[in-house]
Amino acid sequence: MKFLRYVCLFLVLAVLAGSVTPVSAQDYRFQVPEQSVVVTINVDGTIAIDYTMTFQNDSGAHAIDIVDIGLPNYQYNLRSITAEINGQRITKITDSDIVSPGISLYLLDNEIPAGGSGVVHAYITGVADVIYPATQEESEEYASLQFWPNWYGSQYCYGNTKYQMTIVLPPGLKESEGRYFIPENWPGDSEPYSRILEDGRIFYTWESDQANGYTQYSFGASFPARLLNEGVIVKEPYVPPSDSGYSGSSGGFNFDLSSICPFIFCLGFVGFFALMIYSATIGAKKRKMKYLPPKIMIEGNGIKRGLTAIEAGVLMEQPMDKIFTMILFSLLKKNAAEVVSKDPLEIKASEPLPADLYAYETDFLDAFKETGSKRKKLLQNTMVNLIRSVTEKMKGFSRKETIAYYEDIMNRAWAQVEQANTPDVKAQVYEEVMDWTMLDKKYDERTTEVFKGPVFIPAPSWWWRYEPNFTRPSTTVSMPTTASAPSVGTSGSRPTISMPNIPGSAFAASVVNSVSSFSSNILGGLTGFTSGVTNITNPPPPPSTYRSSGGGGGGGHSCACACACAGCACACAGGGR
Amino acid sequence: MKLFHKFKIGTSLPAVHPPEAGLYHFLRESDHQKSRLHLRIDPDNSGLLMINASRVFHLNPSASHMAFYILSETPSHSAIKALTKTFNEPKQSLLHDFETFHQTIDSLMNDHVCPVCDLELETTAPFTARPTAPYRMDLALTYRCNNACAHCYNARSRNYPELSTQEWFTILDRLWNLGIPHIVFTGGEPTLRDDLPDLIKHAEKNGQITGLNTNGRRLKNRDYVNQLVDAGLDHVQITLESHLSEIHDKMVCHAGAWEETVAGIENVLKTRLYVMTNTTMLTHNSPTIPQTLNFLAELGLPTVGLNALIYSGRGKTVGTGLAENDLLPLLASAKEITTKNGQKLIWYTPTQYCHFDPVIMGLGVKGCTAALYNMCIEPDGSVIPCQSYYLPLGNIQKDDWHSIWNHELAVSLRERKHLPEKCATCAIYHECGGGCPLTFENENQLCVEEQ
Repeated sequence: MKFLRYVCLFLVLAVLAGSVTPVSAQDYRFQVPEQSVVVTINVDGTIAIDYTMTFQNDSGAHAIDIVDIGLPNYQYNLRSITAEINGQRITKITDSDIVSPGISLYLLDNEIPAGGSGVVHAYITGVADVIYPATQEESEEYASLQFWPNWYGSQYCYGNTKYQMTIVLPPGLKESEGRYFIPENWPGDSEPYSRILEDGRIFYTWESDQANGYTQYSFGASFPARLLNEGVIVKEPYVPPSDSGYSGSSGGFNFDLSSICPFIFCLGFVGFFALMIYSATIGAKKRKMKYLPPKIMIEGNGIKRGLTAIEAGVLMEQPMDKIFTMILFSLLKKNAAEVVSKDPLEIKASEPLPADLYAYETDFLDAFKETGSKRKKLLQNTMVNLIRSVTEKMKGFSRKETIAYYEDIMNRAWAQVEQANTPDVKAQVYEEVMDWTMLDKKYDERTTEVFKGPVFIPAPSWWWRYEPNFTRPSTTVSMPTTASAPSVGTSGSRPTISMPNIPGSAFAASVVNSVSSFSSNILGGLTGFTSGVTNITNPPPPPSTYRSSGGGGGGGHSCACACACAGCACACAGGGR
Repeated sequence: MKLFHKFKIGTSLPAVHPPEAGLYHFLRESDHQKSRLHLRIDPDNSGLLMINASRVFHLNPSASHMAFYILSETPSHSAIKALTKTFNEPKQSLLHDFETFHQTIDSLMNDHVCPVCDLELETTAPFTARPTAPYRMDLALTYRCNNACAHCYNARSRNYPELSTQEWFTILDRLWNLGIPHIVFTGGEPTLRDDLPDLIKHAEKNGQITGLNTNGRRLKNRDYVNQLVDAGLDHVQITLESHLSEIHDKMVCHAGAWEETVAGIENVLKTRLYVMTNTTMLTHNSPTIPQTLNFLAELGLPTVGLNALIYSGRGKTVGTGLAENDLLPLLASAKEITTKNGQKLIWYTPTQYCHFDPVIMGLGVKGCTAALYNMCIEPDGSVIPCQSYYLPLGNIQKDDWHSIWNHELAVSLRERKHLPEKCATCAIYHECGGGCPLTFENENQLCVEEQ
C-alpha cells in the first residue's frame, strides 16, 4: 500500500512537472514579418539607430505592451530617443529593467492585442563610444563599427522576417575606402549592396526574406579614421557594470524571464520536481527585478539654448583670462574696439559704438577707460555681473545637459574648420566659428595644428583692429595701400575689403598668445583676480552634499524652476501652491 | 488601477515588505519647515513623488522603493534587506545607492533647493508624462457666487445641481484610491457651501492636501477662517483684481467686495496657511498692476499669481482680455517688482510661445495640463478637463475611471491633437502645447510665423 502511495505521488509530481511551465513564457508569442534597421555613423563618433519593426501577435497571446531594445552601451540619453507605434508617438520611454543597457518602449493604450499587428518605430540618436580601431591592415588608420541588431527569444518569436540592415558611413568617404564585415549567422548575401545618398554619404545594405527575428546577426563596417573627429574612437574595450547582464552584444533583446538554478540538478529525485514546480509558479512571481540605480527626474527644459559663446564659457567655468580674451575678440569682430597697443594692452572703443553690444561688452570697454587698479576692479565687476547673469539665465535648466550641448557646438565648429579643404577656406571658417572654438580647453594646440606648415591665409577683416602694426586695408581690390579704416563702398554694391595674406603660423601664435598676454598684462595674475570674483559670486555647494538650511515655508524667493508640475504649470484660474 | 492603501500621517510600515502599488502619504516637520509628501507607486513599480503638492518627481522602480523606505523611516538595514529581496543586485551596491539617494530625498524637501539648478537632477521633456490619473483634482462644489465678475469663466447656470456632503465624501475617497493626492475646492464660490470645513477635514483625513480658491469675502470672518484652518486646510488662493477698490469692485461687479476680500487676506495671513493671491490681467487693471503688486507686498503676501483672461463663460465676450503679445512688458515689470519685494511670482496662463514665452521670461514652463496633471469635477459630479473647459468626460459617481481618463477629448488634449500641423514640427512643441485650448478655439490663432 505504501509502495502504491509513493508511486501515485511520483506520478502526480511527474504529471505536474511536465505540465507546468512558467506562466510568463506562455504569455508572449509573435512573429516579426518585417524589420528594418539603419545605423548612421556621425563624424563625432556617435551613431543614430533607427528601428522599424512590424509585430504580428498570435491569437491568445499576451498583448505586446512593452518593447525592449538593447543598446550598445549606457552612453545614450533618453531625451534623444523618439518612438512611435502605428504612427502614434510613444510617450513613455525608460531604461529597461529587462535588457541592460537598453530601453523600454511602453505602448500603453496602443499595445498590440492578441491577434493584432503593429509597427513600432524607434529612433535613438547620439549613442557614443561605439567606434573602435579597426584591426585589418590598411594604408592608413581605420576605424570600425560592429553592430548586433535586436533579436527576440525563440520561445516567443517565430517565423520568417523580411529583414533589411543598413549602415550609413560617415561623410567624406570615397567608394574605394569603405570596408564591410561578413555578417554572422546571416541567411542572405554576405556582400551588401552599396549606394550613395543625396548628401554624398555611402551606405551598405543587406537584405534577406529568409531572416528571422530570433537569431543574433552581426554586421559591421570600417572606414578611414580621419573621417571622424579627433578623440572619438574608443581606445579601451567597453566594460559593462558587473550587474548589467550585458552579454557583449550590441542589441540584445529577449523576454527571458526564467532562470533555473543549475544546482537543482544535484538535488534528489523528488526535490527536482518540487523545485521545478516552485520555480514555474511561485518562484516566477517572486522573481527579482533587474536593478538599475535609482533615478529621479523632473520635467523641465533641459538645455538652455541661446547663450553666447562667452556665456557658455562662463557656464563651462573657463578661466577668466580666456573669457576676457573672448570678449575682446568679440568686440573686435563687431568693429566696436581696436587694440591701440598690445604691450601694455590698451584698447580704444569705436565711436559710435554698435548698437548690438551685450552688457558684458560695454562693461569691458568701460573698464578700459580706466587704468591700473581701477581697471582691474571694473573688470572684476564685469565678471561678477556676467556670472550672475548666466546664473539667472540658467535657472530651471540643466547645467549638465546645457554644457554638453555647447560642447557639441564647439566640436562641430572644429569639425567645420578641420574639414575645410584649402588654407583660405580654413581661415575663413576659423574666423566665423572662432567664438566657439575658443571654448576648447585644447584651443591652443588645435589652433596651432590647424595652421601649421608654410601656409599663408588671408587675414581676418578685423585683424588690423587686433594687431596695431598691421597695415589697415583699403576698399580697393587686392593691395592694401592706405591707413584709413575700411569704409562702405559708394557704388551701392556690397563693400569689399581686401586683406593681405599672413603666415598661418603667425596668425595662430598671435591668437593663442592673446590669452596669456591678457592674464599677465591686465589681470595681474589670474589666481588673485579670480578669487576677487568668486568671493562675491559664491558658487553653489556641490549638489550631492546639499543639506537643508531651514527657512520658512509659504513663498518668498525661489528659483523659477522649469518644472512643469500641477501646482504651477497651468492652474487655469489658479489652484496651485 | 485600484489603490487601496490609506495611511495615517507618520505611520511606520513593516520594514521587510516591499511597497505595493498605491498612494502613500508622509509628513516631515522640523523647526523651520513642513513638507507633505505623496508617493504614488504604479503597478510597474515606477513612481511619482509629490512634495507639498507643488513639485513632482518621476522615479524608476528602485527609486520608488528606496523612497518608500526612506520616507517610512525604515531602518537602513531593514530597507537594504528588503531591497536585496526585490532587486537582483549585491547588497553593498544597494547600500551605497540607498545612502546617496537618501541625501537626495532630504534635499528635495528643502524649498530653497532647486532640483534642477542645485541638485542637477535629470530632466524629461515637459508634459510628456502619462500618469494614470491627474495629480490634482479641482472640486467645483457649487456654481453659486456672491460676486458676478464680468469676465467670469463659468459657463454654467449659477443654480447648477449640487451633490450632498456624503456624496462628496465618497468622491474624495474614490479620488484617493485613484492616487490623486491634491484637492482644490473651487466654484463658483466654495465658501458658500456650509459643509466646506467638513469636506476639508475628510480629505485631510484621507491624506490629501487641500487648497481653496476663493474671492475671500467670507474669510473676513476670523472664526470662519479658524474653522477652515482647524479642518486642516493647507493653502488658499484669493482673487484680488486691484489695489484700488473701485477697479476691483467694478471687475467683480459687487460694491464693497474689495474691503471684504482685503480683510479676508489679512485674516489668513495671520494663520499657518500657505497664502497667495491671483489677479486676472485685463484692460481695467493692467495699467496699475505694478501698484497692485506693491500693495500685495505691503499686505505681506509671500506669493502672488497673475493670469490672463480665460476664454470661457463671460470671458468669451467680455472684450477686456489682453493679447498674448502684450503680456511681455507687463510680466517683465511684474517680475522685477516681485523680485524686489522678495515675493514669488506665479504666472498661470499657458500661452503660445511664439507670442509669449514664459521660459525666456524666467517664469517657468507653462502649458495646458488639462486632463493630464489636473482635472475638475462639477457640482453634479461631472468630470471636465479643467475648471474652464465645460465638456464633460463622464461622471465620477457613475462611470469607470478608465472611460473618463481615456475619453476622446481627454486624450486629444493630452496629445495636443487640436494644434495645426505646423506646431507639430516646432522645436518647443512639448513645452508650448499651443497655449490654452480655449484661447486657441476662441481666437483661432496660429503661430506668428503662419500669419
